Amino acid sequence: MQFSKNWIGDYVELPAEVEKLGERLTNAGLSVEGLEVCGDDHLMDLDVTTNRPDCMNHFGLAREVAAIFGRELRRPAVELEPVADAIEEVASLEIDDYELCPRYTALALRGVKVGPSPDWLVDRLEAIGSRSINNIVDVTNYVLWETGQPLHAFDLTKIGGGHIRVRRAAEGETLKTLDGDMRSLDPSILVIADGKEPIALAGVMGGFDSEVTDATVDVLIESAHFDPTTVRKGAKKLGLHTDACHRFERGADPEACLDAARRAAALMIELAGGELLAGALDLYRPSAEWPPRIEIDVRRLDRFAGASIGWERTRDILDRLGFDSAPVEGRDDDGQWLEVTAPPWRYYDFENGHAQDVYEEVMRIYGFDAIEATLPNVGGPDAPELPELRRRRIVQDTLAAAGFAETINFAFHSRDVDDAYPTFYADREAMELANALSDLYAIMRRSLLPNLVATARYNQRRGRGAVRVFEVGRIFGADAEQGRVEMETVAIVLGCVLGTPWSGQRSLDFFDLKGVVEALATALSTELRFRSAEALKLVPGATAEILKGEGPVGLIGQLDEPDLAYPLFVVEISLDRLGASTVSLETKAPSRFPGIEVDLTLGHSLDVPWHEIRDEIQKAEVTDLVSFELKDRYDGEGVAAGAVNTTIAFTYNADGRSLRHDEINERQSALAARLEQRFGLGDAR
Amino acid sequence: MTTPLEELKNLGEAFDRAADAVADSEAWDRLRVAWVGRKQGRLRDLMSRMKDIAKEDRRAYGQAVNQLKQRVESKIETLKADMEARVAAEASAAAALDVTLPGRQPALGSLHPMTHVVREMTQIFAEMGYCVAEGPEIEDDFHNFEALNFPPDHPARETQDTFFFPGGMLLRTHTSPVQIRTMLDREPPIRVICYGRVFRNDNDLRHSPMFHQIEGLAIGEGVTFGDLKGTLDAFVKRLFSESTQMRLRPSFFPFTEPSAEVDITCAACGGVGCATCSNTGWMEILGCGMVDPRVLRNCGIDPDRYSGFAFGLGVDRVAMNRYGIPNIRTLFDNDERLLRQVRG
Repeated sequence: MQFSKNWIGDYVELPAEVEKLGERLTNAGLSVEGLEVCGDDHLMDLDVTTNRPDCMNHFGLAREVAAIFGRELRRPAVELEPVADAIEEVASLEIDDYELCPRYTALALRGVKVGPSPDWLVDRLEAIGSRSINNIVDVTNYVLWETGQPLHAFDLTKIGGGHIRVRRAAEGETLKTLDGDMRSLDPSILVIADGKEPIALAGVMGGFDSEVTDATVDVLIESAHFDPTTVRKGAKKLGLHTDACHRFERGADPEACLDAARRAAALMIELAGGELLAGALDLYRPSAEWPPRIEIDVRRLDRFAGASIGWERTRDILDRLGFDSAPVEGRDDDGQWLEVTAPPWRYYDFENGHAQDVYEEVMRIYGFDAIEATLPNVGGPDAPELPELRRRRIVQDTLAAAGFAETINFAFHSRDVDDAYPTFYADREAMELANALSDLYAIMRRSLLPNLVATARYNQRRGRGAVRVFEVGRIFGADAEQGRVEMETVAIVLGCVLGTPWSGQRSLDFFDLKGVVEALATALSTELRFRSAEALKLVPGATAEILKGEGPVGLIGQLDEPDLAYPLFVVEISLDRLGASTVSLETKAPSRFPGIEVDLTLGHSLDVPWHEIRDEIQKAEVTDLVSFELKDRYDGEGVAAGAVNTTIAFTYNADGRSLRHDEINERQSALAARLEQRFGLGDAR
Repeated sequence: MTTPLEELKNLGEAFDRAADAVADSEAWDRLRVAWVGRKQGRLRDLMSRMKDIAKEDRRAYGQAVNQLKQRVESKIETLKADMEARVAAEASAAAALDVTLPGRQPALGSLHPMTHVVREMTQIFAEMGYCVAEGPEIEDDFHNFEALNFPPDHPARETQDTFFFPGGMLLRTHTSPVQIRTMLDREPPIRVICYGRVFRNDNDLRHSPMFHQIEGLAIGEGVTFGDLKGTLDAFVKRLFSESTQMRLRPSFFPFTEPSAEVDITCAACGGVGCATCSNTGWMEILGCGMVDPRVLRNCGIDPDRYSGFAFGLGVDRVAMNRYGIPNIRTLFDNDERLLRQVRG
């Protein structure tokens, strides 16, 4: 929000250096975000927080400056000489509901001459980014930016019967506002009406038909106080935001109404001539909560701040900020109690107030930088690391070490891709945003794969080498009881040729990705199984379900997408479903004697799955066989069509002695015969 | 007439010339055969000429012949050794590795910049006794707003452009609901760090609709505003550098009171003023404050007995700063060419 330094200087003596002013304001909570030289003035861009509507005007800022620097505040003098005729003769007032409008004041002027504003007024308004309209309207704006009190000037003759009624709009009523738009109203919107119809939106904007024009001679100055929530809801409903409602919805000063109206009347008479009718319309029913009173213990304030601010300093700061403080006697503790009363321009900030609200005021003027930095003495045991954090770290580190780049993708995507991919939440509805940025971001993802595949394809289009990416993140589904459920999963995508002939080149395929999943399982001390399956978006025959025990925990396969530059392989695993580790961490001491390694080649039909051969070897329970692995598969020249030669490497080792080749050969022969009998090609060979 | 001794001398000089001309093993072989070959070696018959030598000269002649023979044989051996050494050197030179050729690296991947930064931050706080808590990304109004002292229809809500779901659930706009959940679950003393994705309905060059926050919360008896300052000071000095200075500007958040924005001396210029800090010398890094008593009460904690502080910061900005990434959206483009440059 833009303010003029010279304007603030009308009400308080400012420090000579504008930088000093900016620094002290910033340190007191009014951040100076920008400073611009403008002629002999400085324009200050201040970040005024929503709790400080009292500082959204020049006098209010002067009040802060006076408090910070301990200087005197100069209130502009208002001298008025009303004529004998009373306002009651031309205008009357009623308020339907004082909850919505605790106060309404009005002054009447007659015989004004509407015309252009003098230069000083035009310049001031321009400085804060406002456009000059005419001398009457400009004065209302000027007083708003001076005092913070929003005003409105009506053409008195346009108010039907001269009667002002503050009421809720009736269903179906309309009002053409100042900006020329026709507004449809309803009872949630508070209006200023004359005897017949709405003539202004209370606290938001005036009506077109009752505004001050060049022809206006008699003026009614409105200076009222409206309920913040009512103003806010009404303005929001009508899609309006004005300087007036910006202040009312944050809380204005109910005590300032009449003074602001008088200030405006004096300026109008000065600039546009005319005369003030005697008296004022003023209906005021203050809230029972006003003024807010809060008791504080100054010793506690010091303990809370970690500083020695003390009784005198506390009272002095409160006094400078316009708070009353009175010692409280007779409390039966050792505290130093004060009853603090908030000034009317801070009523809303201190409603339902707590001692800490007052501490804040004292501390910000005392200065945060004057409080010594210490370290807390918070005892108690620390909670252990969450298992899911440990798990996530292992997954991230394993995949990064295995050559994958970690990515972070948006948690939302389009309905189309959400439906197209397999998901762990197939039995749940997707969560759809009510105010999504666009259809592309409308659905909370039920799978990490769509966005990760998009990332892979983005890289495919840009990169030369292989794509290897992963993400650890959450998927979401609707749930009647909890509103939603969330699950942490990891997704991995890879494809293309890795490396060069120099570095050792290979085409990445299904088994590269499966190997990564197996490595992950090892790192997580979990045993996983793979079972041929079919799934959306995955190539049939190149897809497997991943199981832990009998429970499905993931899907792996080749992506079934057209126009891929090269095949992509994808996997998604539910980390939440993996649960705790299932594998014993116990290690076995290796034999001190060398082992024997032997190979065995078995010719068999391609129909025989590896896991059956593996199971058969395990079932044979060969003595001293410590491990075996698939060494090679060959189905080239010399192997019958539909058959394959599988070479398996066996490692034998015995505790406490060296094995002899002849005894191993004997066992291998028996094993070979057993495998041959079950899987061999027999006569077909 | 040359004397036999002179002849020997000439012969020796002839050998030296021939030996000097030997360049390869074939020439060496020819030299060897020509001079000490068993059949026609030029030194072979020298002794047999003894009979033609005057008696008184025989002794000197014999010595000279032996000297010449030794010299020639030794020279031929030396030549051979030299030549073998040269051949070996040539062979090994031919077999030497070009050690400047690239090594065959194991395929290393990379962690996301956010992961690196968050791990470092949580590590710093872990050493100060904080543990990590997590919570849902889809929240309800109570945890995201109401319990944090955002009254319904309050303008403060407007500062958090919220994504809503029909029925009232929303995407959390900050990680503060995790603090609420922690306070509801646990009795003080509490020291906790919350990290995660947060969402705001804001999508332009400087904003991403999804970004990351990390927040801390400490609650106990007698926790002071000075403790907040000390904790943050320790944190920013560890995260940035020992010389990092910090200032707290009073601000407003519904859930803390007093509240402050924390600036640190600009990491790019050290506080003198540069483009990164818009010439202010300061960089806004986090928001903090003493937990509002209403928030404590909402979570069943007695504000007359306990006090505490909370702070939060955007992780994305820190990561951008550290890795020199000018645009937040670049963080979520996931271009492997960028990601694979990132190191911890």
